[in-house]
Amino acid sequence: MFERALNAFWILLGAAAAAYAWTLGLIGASGPESGLFPFLAGLIIMGAGVLLLLRPLSENIAPDFPRGDALWRVLGVIAGLAFMAISIPFLGFAVAGFITMVILLRTVEKSSWWFSLALALVAIVVVVWLFGHILGMALPRGPWGW
Amino acid sequence: MEAVGGLLTGFGIILTLDNLFFCFLGSLIGTLVGVLPGVGPLAALALLLPITFTMTPVGGMVMLASIFYGAMYGGSTTSILLNIPGEAASVVTCLDGHQMAKQGCAGAALGIAAIGSFVAGTLGVIVMTFFAPTIAAVAIRFGPPENFALMVLGIVCTLFMITGSPVKGALMVALGFLTAAVGIDVVNGRERFTFGSIDLSAGIELLAVVIGLFGVTEVLNNVERVVKSTLVAERIRGLWPTLADWKASWRPMLRGSGLGFVLGLVPGGGPVTASFMSYALEKRLSAHPDGFGKGAIEGVAGPESANNAAVAGSIIPVLSLGIPSNAVTALLLGALVIHGVQPGPLFITQRPDLFWGIVASMYVGNVLLLLLNLPLVGLWVQFLRIPYRVLFPVVLLLSIVGVYSANKNVFDLWVMLGFGVAGYVLSKLKYDLAPFVIAFVLAPLLEQSLRQSLAMSPDGAMIFIQRPGTALMLVSSALLVALMVRRKPKGGSR
Amino acid sequence: MKENTIALALLSALLVTPAAAQNGDAKAELARLKPGDFPTAPIEYTVVYPAGGGMDVTARLLAKYVEKWSDHRIIVNNRTGGAGMVGHAYLATQAKPDGYTVGIIANLMWGDAMLRAQGRWTYTDLEPIGYLNSDALTWIGPTEGPYKDMSVKQLVETAKDKPGTLRVATVPGSMWDYLIEQVEANTGAKVLRVPFQGGGAGINALAGGNVDIAQGFYSEFRGLADAGKVRPIGVAASERLSFLKDTPTMNEALGGDEYQWFVIRFAVVPKGTPADRKAYLGAAIRAAMKDPELVAEYLKAGVYFDSKLTDAARMQANLNAYVEAERTFYVKTGRLK
Repeated sequence: MFERALNAFWILLGAAAAAYAWTLGLIGASGPESGLFPFLAGLIIMGAGVLLLLRPLSENIAPDFPRGDALWRVLGVIAGLAFMAISIPFLGFAVAGFITMVILLRTVEKSSWWFSLALALVAIVVVVWLFGHILGMALPRGPWGW
Repeated sequence: MEAVGGLLTGFGIILTLDNLFFCFLGSLIGTLVGVLPGVGPLAALALLLPITFTMTPVGGMVMLASIFYGAMYGGSTTSILLNIPGEAASVVTCLDGHQMAKQGCAGAALGIAAIGSFVAGTLGVIVMTFFAPTIAAVAIRFGPPENFALMVLGIVCTLFMITGSPVKGALMVALGFLTAAVGIDVVNGRERFTFGSIDLSAGIELLAVVIGLFGVTEVLNNVERVVKSTLVAERIRGLWPTLADWKASWRPMLRGSGLGFVLGLVPGGGPVTASFMSYALEKRLSAHPDGFGKGAIEGVAGPESANNAAVAGSIIPVLSLGIPSNAVTALLLGALVIHGVQPGPLFITQRPDLFWGIVASMYVGNVLLLLLNLPLVGLWVQFLRIPYRVLFPVVLLLSIVGVYSANKNVFDLWVMLGFGVAGYVLSKLKYDLAPFVIAFVLAPLLEQSLRQSLAMSPDGAMIFIQRPGTALMLVSSALLVALMVRRKPKGGSR
Repeated sequence: MKENTIALALLSALLVTPAAAQNGDAKAELARLKPGDFPTAPIEYTVVYPAGGGMDVTARLLAKYVEKWSDHRIIVNNRTGGAGMVGHAYLATQAKPDGYTVGIIANLMWGDAMLRAQGRWTYTDLEPIGYLNSDALTWIGPTEGPYKDMSVKQLVETAKDKPGTLRVATVPGSMWDYLIEQVEANTGAKVLRVPFQGGGAGINALAGGNVDIAQGFYSEFRGLADAGKVRPIGVAASERLSFLKDTPTMNEALGGDEYQWFVIRFAVVPKGTPADRKAYLGAAIRAAMKDPELVAEYLKAGVYFDSKLTDAARMQANLNAYVEAERTFYVKTGRLK
């Protein structure tokens, strides 16, 4: 079922890409224009989607998506990374990173609060020191200046 | 014979206490930078360039160069241990290197990677010593048609890498082409697929893609299963490559060295392209192509040699002609200028001390790196003993910093996450991710050189036949495709 | 005897003092302008082109001397992508106007602002604080092959007689294209444009015989020119460059005075930066630009100093004049309404 949906997605993606590429122009005076390569790529994606959709149902793979605890762990990692990306511009790298580390440490096999906070703190301090000060990379700062 | 004389001068210059120190320092930094996920030689060189201002030109250039090839040594470490590429040129090492680690052979993989790097680096410098001017004179004639033919060869090799369903493989390659088209079309300056977004107008960052597709995907997969224990359940079997490993590796190492060297010379080539094409080549030539992706040591030996040889290859145009072939060598050129040195064809005659000093330092640096990296194998392998629940957040944090360091843009973190989730889902559905990455890397060069070739040719497509080198490569590609189709007599499209 | 010694000492003091006074002057002025609470962290010099390129080298040299004169730490940061578009947009829309971000950019920003920004930002969002140097676009020809001894005039004649055979390297959407356009429009010549990602790539192609004419800046082709692999044939400036005395200007070669295309490098801050911080940053750059060592380094790279812009008081007005000239060109050629 899932795979059928994915194949349908490929068809739509390929068609949309090819249509957009068409508007960029395919062939010009001196050879291919901006749209040619994406157009062909879109067609191939669409064609592949159709071929896959037409296969007998038995050949489809039922993906073993995680359930229960495993699902929560996976979602926890995704949530942690998303939180990092959302909050860096507001909290700065150090604080966002600290919170993210705690989220990640607590999600997979629930490290104790004590341990999570301690490790997150050490890790962030070392990373900010190494990259921010030693290597001089400009890590984003929060409203508190660091 | 003047090459030998020059080399001896060079050794005289490099074997002084401070220059040796800079060479060692650069090697160390390069290794560490390579180990850190995502932070590659380009980022490190850009950050450390100001430090070289207070040094002599020789010292500064030696240090910068050693960071460049040092990173090629260290880059394989996290690829093998954690499936997270240390930098873009070590992505393919993930494919088989990490599988070897899971089977308890991390030590062998790391060892072969280090030794392959050493062999390739040293061979590259030897060729550089004796043939640099000749090679440079040939390399400069390489124009868009030759580039195009080389890229076609590369894409054809990619097709060999497709495992499993050819339809899914073709889809991945096409997706790679499509993703690579996002951004500004360099041939006419127009925006493609950017939908008004400034972030997208810069294109999709390669580092974010590979760390997402390999690193984050791997973490998500592991986190599903691994609970309290360490990453590698099996006992770690010995630290050294076995005799069988050696026998399997020495030819890929030599082939990788040759291929990498040539690809380093080509504009737009470099260690990344070299590693990908070496992997595809090794798979094509192997007697057991199905073993690739499951822990074939050739898949580590070839690419790791190729990326080191590419460093030597890409430094030749810089030293002999003052011409950069990729972003890192462009930076090395800039460093020369800042130190008051004028790069160009006269560089070797105007500053033989600097030229031969750098060349000699590459010999020394490769030895230092081998001595540095081999003992570290034992240390790195211990990392696998750390409980995964502690290991992966730290590694993810480093990956975030690494990806961010590319463009200082938070958008890249979203790209990393997006590709991570996509990779996770697609790998469950038996989609092979490597062809996507290769297509993503090669597509822009292929498209650009095709359109440049047609633009510069008054006779249109005839230019591909008029130039001998191009014609030769294109014919080879056609032959390879024919061979491939013949190898699968069932007609390959199911 | 003693009087001689004293005289000598007095004379030396007389000579040394003005120099020391000038050093002292610049540092004193900087100290005077320094706001009390600024800077407390390193200042970022943003370069919108890749590390190692001409713009990057300019910025790093500048940073080195600004640090020398002002004692605050500077980090040079490359924000690349979209041929400068990403960095310009970042400076104009995202960088905080708090004085910690200075952009080291070129007049190529105006093209981005007028043609490609799509209303998201405009060039007044970036306020110039100091002029660095200028670089004139130069036509370069080969030293081998059928075109090896031809002048610009002769090459243009060839392009008129045999349209579509002369291969010229260009960077799409920028002054490389515009210069070719002007030449074609005025002389009726027709060349084959070969697109590259930057001037340097085009010059390399010339050295390898893959194009017949390349366009670039002195720092890019100097190494090859000194070795006799390429030769400069025309400069798109108002007068000949002092280090290329034998190379005519394009105006001389083809007549008229429109063939003027040059890169102007200057420093900007995002609009809204507090006035006192802006003044301080500008003064720091001016102090560095007065350092003879920095001037010497820049001259070695083959730049020239545009007298219209070196005077800080008139810089803004003259920059605006250049912007208007460029806008006029875009309107005339139909790129802007």
